[in-house]
Amino acid sequence: MKTFDVEKGPFLNSKNKTSKMMLHLFIALLPIIIFAFYKNGIIPYKNGLTDIKGLFLPLMVVILPALTSFLTEMLYASIFLKVDALKYVKNSFSFYPGLFLGLIMPLNTPFSMLILGAFVATLVGKLLFGGFGNNIFNPALVGRIFIITAYAITFGKYVYHNSYELDTIASSTPLTNASLVEGIGSYNELVRPYGSLMNFFVGTIPGAVGETSALLCIVAFLYLTLTKTIKWRIPVFYVSTVFIMAFIIGLFNDLERTYSLFQILSGGLMFGAVFMATDPVTSPTTFVGQALYGISLGILTIVFRHLTPYPEGVLTSILTMNMLVFIIDKIGVRARFNIKRSIPYFSTLIILMLGISCYIGIGYRKGNDTEIDPNFEIYSKEINGNTVAYMVGEKGYSSTLKAKIVITNDKVVSYEILEQNDSYYSKITQANYLNTLIKNQAKLNDVDIVAGVTFTSNGLKKMLINTIDDYKENGNEEIKGDVVIDKDFEVLEHNINGNIHEYIVTKKGFSSKLKLNITIIDNIITSVVVLEQNDSYYGKVLESDYINYLLANQSKLEDVDTVAGATITSTSLKQALIETLKVHIGDTNG
Amino acid sequence: MVTGFKISGKKNMSLKNKLTEYLNPEYVYIPLISGYDTNISVFVKKNDYVYKGTTLGKRQGNFPIPILSTVSGTVIGFEEKYYLNGEKIKCVVIQNDFKELVEKKIPICDDITKISKDNFIDILKNNAIVGLGGANFPTFAKYDTDKNIKTLIINAVECEPYITADYTLALDHAEEILEGVNAILKINNISEAYIAIKKTNTKIINAFNKYIGTFPNIKIYLMPNLYPMGWEKSIVEEILKKSYDRLPIEVNTVVNNVSTIYAIYESLKYSKPLLSRIVTFTGEGIEKTLNIKAKFGTLVSEIIKKYCKYKNTNDLLFIAGGPMMGNSMKCDDLVITPNLNCVLVLPKLKQENCIECLRCGLCVKYCPAKLAPVLIKNDCENPDELKKYEVNRCIECGLCTYVCPSKIRVRDYVQKAKDTIRKENK
Repeated sequence: MKTFDVEKGPFLNSKNKTSKMMLHLFIALLPIIIFAFYKNGIIPYKNGLTDIKGLFLPLMVVILPALTSFLTEMLYASIFLKVDALKYVKNSFSFYPGLFLGLIMPLNTPFSMLILGAFVATLVGKLLFGGFGNNIFNPALVGRIFIITAYAITFGKYVYHNSYELDTIASSTPLTNASLVEGIGSYNELVRPYGSLMNFFVGTIPGAVGETSALLCIVAFLYLTLTKTIKWRIPVFYVSTVFIMAFIIGLFNDLERTYSLFQILSGGLMFGAVFMATDPVTSPTTFVGQALYGISLGILTIVFRHLTPYPEGVLTSILTMNMLVFIIDKIGVRARFNIKRSIPYFSTLIILMLGISCYIGIGYRKGNDTEIDPNFEIYSKEINGNTVAYMVGEKGYSSTLKAKIVITNDKVVSYEILEQNDSYYSKITQANYLNTLIKNQAKLNDVDIVAGVTFTSNGLKKMLINTIDDYKENGNEEIKGDVVIDKDFEVLEHNINGNIHEYIVTKKGFSSKLKLNITIIDNIITSVVVLEQNDSYYGKVLESDYINYLLANQSKLEDVDTVAGATITSTSLKQALIETLKVHIGDTNG
Repeated sequence: MVTGFKISGKKNMSLKNKLTEYLNPEYVYIPLISGYDTNISVFVKKNDYVYKGTTLGKRQGNFPIPILSTVSGTVIGFEEKYYLNGEKIKCVVIQNDFKELVEKKIPICDDITKISKDNFIDILKNNAIVGLGGANFPTFAKYDTDKNIKTLIINAVECEPYITADYTLALDHAEEILEGVNAILKINNISEAYIAIKKTNTKIINAFNKYIGTFPNIKIYLMPNLYPMGWEKSIVEEILKKSYDRLPIEVNTVVNNVSTIYAIYESLKYSKPLLSRIVTFTGEGIEKTLNIKAKFGTLVSEIIKKYCKYKNTNDLLFIAGGPMMGNSMKCDDLVITPNLNCVLVLPKLKQENCIECLRCGLCVKYCPAKLAPVLIKNDCENPDELKKYEVNRCIECGLCTYVCPSKIRVRDYVQKAKDTIRKENK
């Protein structure tokens, strides 16, 4: 008779391991991180809009909070729990709260904020609940909500933009932009400022570091579903609910397909649905529970987006539903034995879904007419018989565009820009955009914007639309007023001493006005002295000896390259020379 | 929806060697237990001479079924031996005289389809036919019903890894099994029968296909290769798309294990009582792995000594049953009973690091009884909550523990929850 130790079965081990699931999660996140690096780091760097620090900024935004989470758990484990800290962090997958936090933060979040946010996410969101597996709320979202409440004021309009987007996209994030029109709008209002819906799908729109690419989120979803890592029902029900509700809202306002696509492709919904709502610890475990959870998340997101002042709905929806997981699971358990028990819950949610979408859809249509563009201003309006001359202003990309628009016999006859300081304005001139606008004044909404200068061209278009609107409504009321034109280029002094012409000119630079002393002898610039400047990257201009380079190439100034890293400053210098020469030739000929 | 998990079979191990018969032990130890019911009236005393098939005792409560002697010889006393649940059970010890004498010979039945239903029930009862799949439930009780039986399902799934006892039997006796099924259909006026076989088991499928043409009412149903697809309820749901609460008869169905069908056939045709079965001896802890046909009451230690031999290492586990549902035993002093389909000897498992539950929901997803083990675990000492979770539906298949990525012994918590309910009910 042989004796043995007694153990409990089963006596087989599966290869399934939590660490393996977490690895799958990381693999799914990798393309998203790489895309964030490409979009927010590499593209601006390649275009000379940022330095090496800016290149790696997106990676820092992800790594820094992840590291903070890791260290927080290490410290907590060794100081408060007095356990083997390394073993503790290994089993609690410590860096995820910070990693996710980084991915849902704006690119330009100060590092101190990221660190504090990750600390709070880990400590309050996770450790104080009892660590991995015991937290009720998604830790990363706890950190995010902490940052929003604690730092609300510092979140400016362009905190999400990388420097390339700053140049090309006028509006803030799509949902903040949409909130100006109460969250509901046409394709032109919601999507056009960012290009097309393809940009939304691929992810080349401003938004949190890891949230913008719907495509990569879908790829991650497929990967995580095939590897049985996430509860796939949650994202499917969540996104479908948002789509259906937005579709109904769109139906009431003749927006239909594009509006529902806009809703599911923006504001980190995809990222939230795939990664945050499926966080295993804080989501239901039963199938029915997961479906109910997904639908509720969808309804809440639509409600938050349309009926509250906060444009984002994903974060708050998930945190709200986290509290109810406990109850939802109880419903799910009972429904498993008899699916009929879940019918009352599903019907309630479907009625809510339809009811709320109709309410929002109908409610919006009423207020649709009273839409005022806050960026438009009429400085003066002169009436002279059949001719009305407007002095108007509209926000452009980085400056206010000021223009004189003349309407004769109900037709726009001239559109002249008096002042602007937008980067890349030259593209507008090249495209002869103002003439295009005048030509198509009957159907301005259909005029395309100019690629690369979205913000500026959109502003020009809106300015004309608003002026025509005003003309139609109150064209016979004069408005008296002064327009202060802040000139881009100005000749302050012109001293002539024989054939030596000395010009003192000002020209707008990057962050300050450049004041130059330009000497011209026999139509040739002999010296350029910079009298005043305060541009950030002026050092680069000096380093490259750019002024001497300009002088050497003054016969073909238009073709001279700019200085990488100081594009705007160097362009301004170049333009100052070109314009001075123009003035000089005009002067001497006249 | 039927749920299950693909677990690698390791079935080839025990098929490497041919089926061996070990039908002449010197002593047999017949445990006085029927299923888990120890309330048995004993009819023999020390020094009585018993024939092969003599009734030694009888279950007193529901479904009275005799306990039979498996050899002819002399009762030499009573001794406690281990039963497969790990407990010691009083056994009748009989010294074999190797004469294989029976009390009275009954002639071979020529046409078993002509047996009357009452007669059929009596034959099953008197020949101690019980379910050989593991439940040990008296088979006659399944047929002794007022309800109309429409479907008979023959369970040849044998979904637990390592075990090949049913497989071995079905491979050798496909024709007899089909004859048996045909007789049961005729006797009980059942219209159709399905033989449930894993779709990967092509050898058995071929074995049945060879003869099945003669029996238009019998069909082969290919089951997905999942564990625990061999559970009655999963089979009925998969084949008939119908769900029942407690017993298959609720949906006019009887499910019998394929080995049980063969036992029924032998009892009908040759009046042979159920005295032996095929047991799989396998696992990485023994030198020779094979299937052995042995009489009930034979000591497992004797068989291992004679045929298998332990590997020369101290870290072994001795398991009565399969790797998923079997019990780890204190010693090998175990007797063969109708519900012992496998003896598994494994090297001790590497202790896996158990970490905090991450609520991934895999145990919920795969639970064939549709329980929510993760929630049961959290409330396993709270009887009020547990009632809502319907814990008693658990069949202890062990899949929740197996799939758990955090390596939590989930089934242990569910068993604890069942204990909590049991205490509450007392």
